[in-house]
Amino acid sequence: MQPLFKVVWSSVGKKFIMALSGLAMVVFLVEHVVGNLLLYSTDPDPYNKYGHFLVSLGSVLIVVEYIFVAILLFHAYSGITIALGSNKARPIGYYKVGNASGDASRKTFSSKTMIWTGILTFVFIVIHLKTFKFGAYYASHVGGEEIRDLHTLVWEVFRSPAYVLFYVITIFLLGFHLRHGFWSAFQSLGVNHPRYSPFIYCLGILIAIAVAAGFIGIPVWIYFTGA
Amino acid sequence: MALDSKVPDGPLAEKWDKHKFDLKLVNPANKRKYTVIVVGTGLAGGAAAASLGELGYNVLNFCIQDSSRRAHSIAAQGGINAAKNYPNDGDSIWRLFYDTVKGGDYRSREANVYRLAQVSNNIIDQCVAQGVPFARDYGGLLDNRSFGGAQVSRTFYARGQTGQQLLLGAYSSLMRQVEAGTVKMFTRHEMLDLVIQDGHARGIVTRDLVTGEVKSYAADAVAIATGGYGNVFYLSTNAKNSNGTAAWRCYKRGAFFANPCFTQIHPTCIPVSGDYQSKLTLMSESLRNDGRVWVTKKKGDKRSPTQIPENERDYYLEERYPSFGNLVPRDVASRNAKDVCDDGRGVGDTGLAVYLDFADAISRLGEHTIREKYGNLFDMYQRITDENPYKVPMRIYPAVHYTMGGLWVDYNLESTIPGLFVLGEANFSDHGANRLGASALMQGLADGYFVIPYTIGDYLATNGVSGASPDDAEFKAVEEEVNAGIDKLRSIKGKRTPTELHRELGLKVWEYIGMSRKEAGLKKALKEIPALKEEFWSDLKIPDDKDNLNKHLEFAGRLADYFELAELMAVDARDRKESCGGHFRDESQTEEGEAKRDDENFTHVSAWEYKGEGKKPQLNKEPLVFENVELTQRSYK
Amino acid sequence: MDNMTLNLKVWRQKDASSSGKMVDYKLDAVSQHMSFLEMLDVLNEKLIKDGEDPVEFDNDCREGICGTCSLVINGVAHGPWNGTATCQLHMREYKHGDTIAIEPWRAAAFPIIKDLVVDRSAMDRIMQAGGYVSMNAGGAPDANGLPIAKHFAEDAMDAASCIGCGACIASCPNASASLFTAAKISQLALLPQGAPERQRRALAMVEQMDAEGFGDCSNHAECEATCPKEISISHIARMKREYFKAALISKV
Repeated sequence: MQPLFKVVWSSVGKKFIMALSGLAMVVFLVEHVVGNLLLYSTDPDPYNKYGHFLVSLGSVLIVVEYIFVAILLFHAYSGITIALGSNKARPIGYYKVGNASGDASRKTFSSKTMIWTGILTFVFIVIHLKTFKFGAYYASHVGGEEIRDLHTLVWEVFRSPAYVLFYVITIFLLGFHLRHGFWSAFQSLGVNHPRYSPFIYCLGILIAIAVAAGFIGIPVWIYFTGA
Repeated sequence: MALDSKVPDGPLAEKWDKHKFDLKLVNPANKRKYTVIVVGTGLAGGAAAASLGELGYNVLNFCIQDSSRRAHSIAAQGGINAAKNYPNDGDSIWRLFYDTVKGGDYRSREANVYRLAQVSNNIIDQCVAQGVPFARDYGGLLDNRSFGGAQVSRTFYARGQTGQQLLLGAYSSLMRQVEAGTVKMFTRHEMLDLVIQDGHARGIVTRDLVTGEVKSYAADAVAIATGGYGNVFYLSTNAKNSNGTAAWRCYKRGAFFANPCFTQIHPTCIPVSGDYQSKLTLMSESLRNDGRVWVTKKKGDKRSPTQIPENERDYYLEERYPSFGNLVPRDVASRNAKDVCDDGRGVGDTGLAVYLDFADAISRLGEHTIREKYGNLFDMYQRITDENPYKVPMRIYPAVHYTMGGLWVDYNLESTIPGLFVLGEANFSDHGANRLGASALMQGLADGYFVIPYTIGDYLATNGVSGASPDDAEFKAVEEEVNAGIDKLRSIKGKRTPTELHRELGLKVWEYIGMSRKEAGLKKALKEIPALKEEFWSDLKIPDDKDNLNKHLEFAGRLADYFELAELMAVDARDRKESCGGHFRDESQTEEGEAKRDDENFTHVSAWEYKGEGKKPQLNKEPLVFENVELTQRSYK
Repeated sequence: MDNMTLNLKVWRQKDASSSGKMVDYKLDAVSQHMSFLEMLDVLNEKLIKDGEDPVEFDNDCREGICGTCSLVINGVAHGPWNGTATCQLHMREYKHGDTIAIEPWRAAAFPIIKDLVVDRSAMDRIMQAGGYVSMNAGGAPDANGLPIAKHFAEDAMDAASCIGCGACIASCPNASASLFTAAKISQLALLPQGAPERQRRALAMVEQMDAEGFGDCSNHAECEATCPKEISISHIARMKREYFKAALISKV
């Protein structure tokens, strides 16, 4: 009998983890982008209340946060392992690299850059957390209760052209990561059926566009309207 | 030497069962004490090595390819015959036996063919159990189709890739035995000689094609399953590396070579397009079900086929053979194509082709139906020729496809050298002078799965463990000869490449020992082939490196054998002054120009015995006795 | 056109232990009717006559079924034609003056033997790990004793049509052998004959594939696009399902 560790870290098992963690993060991203739509309001209260609601979940939120950190680390670790394994599996590359003709190939800019868009996103997340979650604390009073005023912080940060540029570029590339990652996760989980696969593939593209556009719109809007 | 076919007594239908009972057995616990060498991993060799491994023998299995899955059996398209009678259309073991003997123009051994028909059913069972995805109907049961030379549907198939699927089935069984440790696989190894000790085959000498190392392997018995020698023609439907060397070197060690002139020319191949041509591609015989064969009535008519009006076309097969039309057997169709081209009425740039026209079938059945039936073949044709066969007729021409001749074997598949067994296309046994479509796969698997496991056991049980070792003097002597042969090729340092010389040899063999043979041509062949052989030995140029992968060194060694084999083919063709099956002697034809057998003088197997360098081979005859079928002249009018 | 001149760039490597490089050759009088391999034959004839070492390349049946030929042509395994092995690619694809880069399959698990010839025995070892039905000759039940739905038989045949050439591995950006391994696992998973061993087979063949040093599958599907038999990556998905089931519930 093959031991658990071996099965989990086999080429198939690794991709299973990668797919599940990836899909979990897609769910997180969708939730995040929907929540962030509140930032379009110049009234800081709705967004701050939403932030406060999450904080008020207390230990539940902390558990969820730890789970997501674990998911992120698993995803990153398996991604890095796969990329390194790829180099090891082909130490001498081709003199010329081409693309097969026909429409079967899913080899795209997205699929070829997963490791780089992934690393960039990871760096982004660290900076993002530092800027916002662990950033400056502004207080706001809603209904007699003091809650954190994240809205002001966001509006302040997004006045920096450098930060906005970094944000926009990273999220744009994250869109590419999602474009390949979404359908790819289903394939890695063994979901491939002529009835559903084209739908999943298109859904992946739509989610990538929606998430990227949703996130990018906010800093751009704030930058140009909030100055 | 009197040839003993060892055909058991008794009624035909009981011979094999009785014989199996009479064969000695090796105790299961003792089987691992025996080593058997199997050369070749095609349907016959792969099946034999796997089955012997399953029984518990130590098997050493050799092939020249980089994997045992690549043997040329893989290229067979059409299907495999069996007497299952699933369609309920009147098939039986007896009918399959009868069709095969008749198709072979009464030049095969009754008992062998009957056994082949008997085990044909086991083959289908075996392959299905291995997971071979044969075509099925909607009820989930196996589908059959019909093939030439039979009035029943008995051909099982897996799309146009039946050979591939059967071979991969055998390969999977073989891989299982490699994993189990019973079979040791030697890929990229070429057998270059046979070692005989005390009159018995005891091993082989091989060259490792990657390192060039020449090495001996010893065993208690040797089985050769190295396929046919069709590449003697240079252009054939065989794979580039298919060759006759293993069989030929066994011949030179004393195994008789039977009916070398029996070669099959397949009528529907894509024609030669230029001097650079390296091989010919077969288009399945099934195309003749819907295609009409024609040439122009006028000589040298170079108009495009669509411009030639109906009344200027000669549908020569339909005219000459009204009852069989375009579906005459392979040899008849081939010969007629040659005749019209020799008459100057061939089509295409070279004039060496005839049209196979689907226009009628397309207008009758619709393009969709034709695409469903033959789509993959039409695609392949278009890929090679850049012509669209839905719009313009295909151009086809006959090409060498299979060799019925091979090393002589008895009922046990044992050659005239004790302990040397020969399987599949490499032996001569079951197809007589002409093989029916979908029978090659059947024979290869029958030999490998269901005959050799019994008969080799009898040999081993009778003779015991040999104790032969690669360090024995006999092995060292043969190794030295092999090395000397390689060095001789390298030392010539002339100007002509093996490919050039081979192409030239092929043209001569095609001209003189091809579709029709005449006394004058065969005489010429016996003069010109040795002269070309001289040139080979004095003007060959090959890359010198012998301790490395060097394909041209391999080619040169195989070509050297082809010169000798071609000569023997000519000798045999000259000796057989009758026409039968694929062997058509101009001097022996009916008034209508059809093949005429001479049963009185030639109802025998011609088994040739090597007598030494420069000496004439000796003819030994095994009379063919027909107790169960009546010999009749074939007619397809 | 019967008189093309081509600029070839060919990987030359003396043997496994030497290092190799791309070498330029100019080849005249190439006919568009030639197959790609016949064009290389012409090059080799010329090299031999000039006293140089011919370019070694694997080939055998030259009709697209044995899986021996193996060239990466201008960066694409088996060249530019869909569903076509190198041996069936014809020179009318090219025009006078074209430059063609010809390289061997590249993967750590496919060490180069010489020039364009590589050692693909890793694929045999994957098969040895479980690409078979464990049955001995002689004991099979009647072939029609076990009906198999036509669509399963057809799907199994799609997978079984794999010619084992290794183009999937050569073209995969990760040098993964997933399509090759999956084709066999999938074929036998679709057929009742493969059922008794399906769990052991899935685990063992994937284990061997990993042990040979092939990369992981990142779902580029370039394998399907270059496969001469156009085998679908849906078989890889089936392999994964087989593997999950085996890993979760089997004791093998």
